Amino acid sequence: MRDATETGAVDPALSIEALSYRYAGAASGTLEGVSLEVNQGEFVVLAGPSGSGKTSLLRAACGLVPHFHGGELGGRARVAGRDTRDFGPGDLADVVGYVAQDPETQIISTTVAAELDLPLRFRGDNPASRARAIEEVALGLNIAPLLPRTVSTLSGGEMQRVALAVALVTRPPLILLDEPTSQLDPVAGDELIWLLRRLNEEWGVAVVLAEHRLERCLAAADRVIAMDTGRISFDGSPRAFLEHAVDSKSELGTPAAVMFSLAGMDPLPVGVRDARATLRVRGITAPGQSPVSVARPSEETGESQAEADLRSGTGRSLRRFVPGRRERRKGNGRALKASGLWVELDPGDGPVDVLRGLDLEIDPGERVALMGRNGAGKSSLLRAAAGLLEPAAGKIETRGGVALLTQNPGDFLVRESIGEELSGESGRAALDAVGLDLPEDSDPRDLSGGERQRLALAIALAGRMDGGELPDLIALDEPTRGMDRRLKDGLSGLGRTLSDRGAAVVVATHDVEFAATFADRVVLLGDGELIADASAATVLSGGWYFATEVSRVLDRPGLITVEQGADWLLGEIANGGGA
Amino acid sequence: MKSLSPLSYVPRRASLQSAGLGPAALYLGAYLLICFLSSDPIVLLAATFGAALAGYGCHAQRAVRFSLRLGAFLAVSMIVINGLVTSRGETVLLRLGEWPVFGRIDVTAESLAAGALIGLRAMGTMVVIGVWSACIDPDRVLRAMHRTARRSALTATLISRLVPLAAGDQARLGEAAGLRGPGATPVGRLAMAHRLLAGSLDRAVDVAATLELRGYGQTAPPGADRPIASRFDRRFQVAGAVLMVAALGSIIAGLPGLTTYPGFEYEPGPFSLILAGLFAGGGLVTWQRGRGPNARRN
Repeated sequence: MRDATETGAVDPALSIEALSYRYAGAASGTLEGVSLEVNQGEFVVLAGPSGSGKTSLLRAACGLVPHFHGGELGGRARVAGRDTRDFGPGDLADVVGYVAQDPETQIISTTVAAELDLPLRFRGDNPASRARAIEEVALGLNIAPLLPRTVSTLSGGEMQRVALAVALVTRPPLILLDEPTSQLDPVAGDELIWLLRRLNEEWGVAVVLAEHRLERCLAAADRVIAMDTGRISFDGSPRAFLEHAVDSKSELGTPAAVMFSLAGMDPLPVGVRDARATLRVRGITAPGQSPVSVARPSEETGESQAEADLRSGTGRSLRRFVPGRRERRKGNGRALKASGLWVELDPGDGPVDVLRGLDLEIDPGERVALMGRNGAGKSSLLRAAAGLLEPAAGKIETRGGVALLTQNPGDFLVRESIGEELSGESGRAALDAVGLDLPEDSDPRDLSGGERQRLALAIALAGRMDGGELPDLIALDEPTRGMDRRLKDGLSGLGRTLSDRGAAVVVATHDVEFAATFADRVVLLGDGELIADASAATVLSGGWYFATEVSRVLDRPGLITVEQGADWLLGEIANGGGA
Repeated sequence: MKSLSPLSYVPRRASLQSAGLGPAALYLGAYLLICFLSSDPIVLLAATFGAALAGYGCHAQRAVRFSLRLGAFLAVSMIVINGLVTSRGETVLLRLGEWPVFGRIDVTAESLAAGALIGLRAMGTMVVIGVWSACIDPDRVLRAMHRTARRSALTATLISRLVPLAAGDQARLGEAAGLRGPGATPVGRLAMAHRLLAGSLDRAVDVAATLELRGYGQTAPPGADRPIASRFDRRFQVAGAVLMVAALGSIIAGLPGLTTYPGFEYEPGPFSLILAGLFAGGGLVTWQRGRGPNARRN
């Protein structure tokens, strides 16, 4: 056993040699001959589609593999010179911090303060140094107000921040993060990435960050390692990675890079600032400085004043969504109508208002993205619509039934086969509605993440389809958590199919890129109140945080998707802007 | 933001929540012991009442009500199941004839009474566990485990976290069950219990992994994590000792309880009444002057 302190040499923060791994009972390996080194103070992004081996690699790097998960391990992994074969996760706790994908399994204590205190107590720190460490990490991660809170009352995003704080509180030299932004709103997600960068630069913490939403983190990274089917498919700089991703037509390219590629521009940008610099060099009008020639959505929807308000930062006037030419697919009734809706919850310290006098109407056939910061009231609105929460005041009405899929689709799956979960005509109709065609004896546990989600939705729909007609409102709470782009595209397609069949599909999400491809309307909540309610093109191109990367690069009203952005760039180039 | 499960621990300045782990465990352990081992229905009822009273004194009303409902369901199930599967007893109430697999089924008063006795035990046990879960800080349990069983994070998790994990899972799974479409197969209690147990054990393994990552196996310097004394410790030490001695004494002395087979036999003596009085009145130990259950509800 070798330790850096014994040899006196500076070991890499993480060194992996020819690592292969297969989970116990698995037919095939999860990792195949992976070799890499992460130097001290390096910021590495780990990219790859779902199931490519990112999580297993991180588990191997903190000793959970093989000590906790068992299985067959080949090759070696060393953390700060300590071989994970000889040192278990507890022995490595002082040199590596790990934040897993699901924060709910990582929060152990009763209160947030106790959670942060726990690793320091295990280490035997005295009360004064524990108090200081907790204070510093709480301030650094902006979770000081959460310290006295009971952990069972935290939202998913708050839990994720707490889990990160716990991993950092002992100041390990290496931190491994598995999709830490998957439950964070765009503001908190960006804050987290830049906090990691600051820790990396100021404390010299080496960071390995597995992430699907690469547009959020590439600009902060020194290096990108891409994985595919358990092997490393790329290892290099962020810009080289984007060229690799675009050339290989993989789904890992960021929206800005794909947009530039479609418009025939180079170099591919690793972030918004980079993209804007390239646009300036190419002579394309600097964002926000001149009128644009694209057709504004406002011309179609009559929202010009509202749009201008949003762009000028007074988005609170965007409280009116004009359906415009959108077709009403079913009668004249509303799928959802909330009038002066107040909802309160008791997080343990007395009731708190989570929705404050909300007025909202949604028609059948609409596709709505419900957005807002963590704790804004998105989930509470959906739960009130489904009858899980009683309004404290006002009312919420739904017409023709509500099917709600909560954040954990696995909670819907309680039986051993699809046939046991869904039998009879109504079960088959529900499976057809979500496009799931699997043998009845399939075990739900063997399905992929996307299939499990569809099955859970079918369970929520079963029996609520009147003569094959869907319920008026289908609501999904944070359905893209942990999904790669292919799965998100599949979900977006499913949403379109359901709305084309007449259901209003409402998705509570933090994922602006998903919202841009899925929704035709975005409702933005803030602290339980309605902040903006307008077309997706208007809301998602009107700000910094709740805006797509394309919008942040081009800063043009109505341009939110890669295709729209590329078309506009080609037009500018054709007009001589890109000469 | 989520609502709390009825069994979730909520930090409060109540007596049982403030007391040290040892005195609290001694006090509630006496109730658990009597519920497990006594066959006297009066004592069992008194212990259940006392445990509920203790919960109310610590503002754990929701936990007590939830446990009583669950316990009542278990008790009724025991009565029905025992009545159907046991044909012993002299007083036949109902002859249901021959049934495939089960054979001849005679429902007797004795089998129903035996089922009710088991049900009473289950109800009392549920209430004690509910009060423990809502009033005893799992963090203290975990820290105590760290001092005594450093090498097994999984054991520590199962002891300190299984009930809170199951309570959280139960709330989520119950919500999902309520959201199933009317055409989906309803989630029966058995399927739910199976899923809950499997899911909670899976999550316990995840939590144990997290504990390892937090450094659970590390050896802290001696005295680094000394438990803090509470002004309620003496109260629970004395009450717990008295109740524990009474419970053990009744068992060692072979206090007669309800005998059901082949016929009823039950003669409660003065010692049964004293024991019942002790356990019923023992619930008042958690109460503080001027801080009744209405002071703050959970």
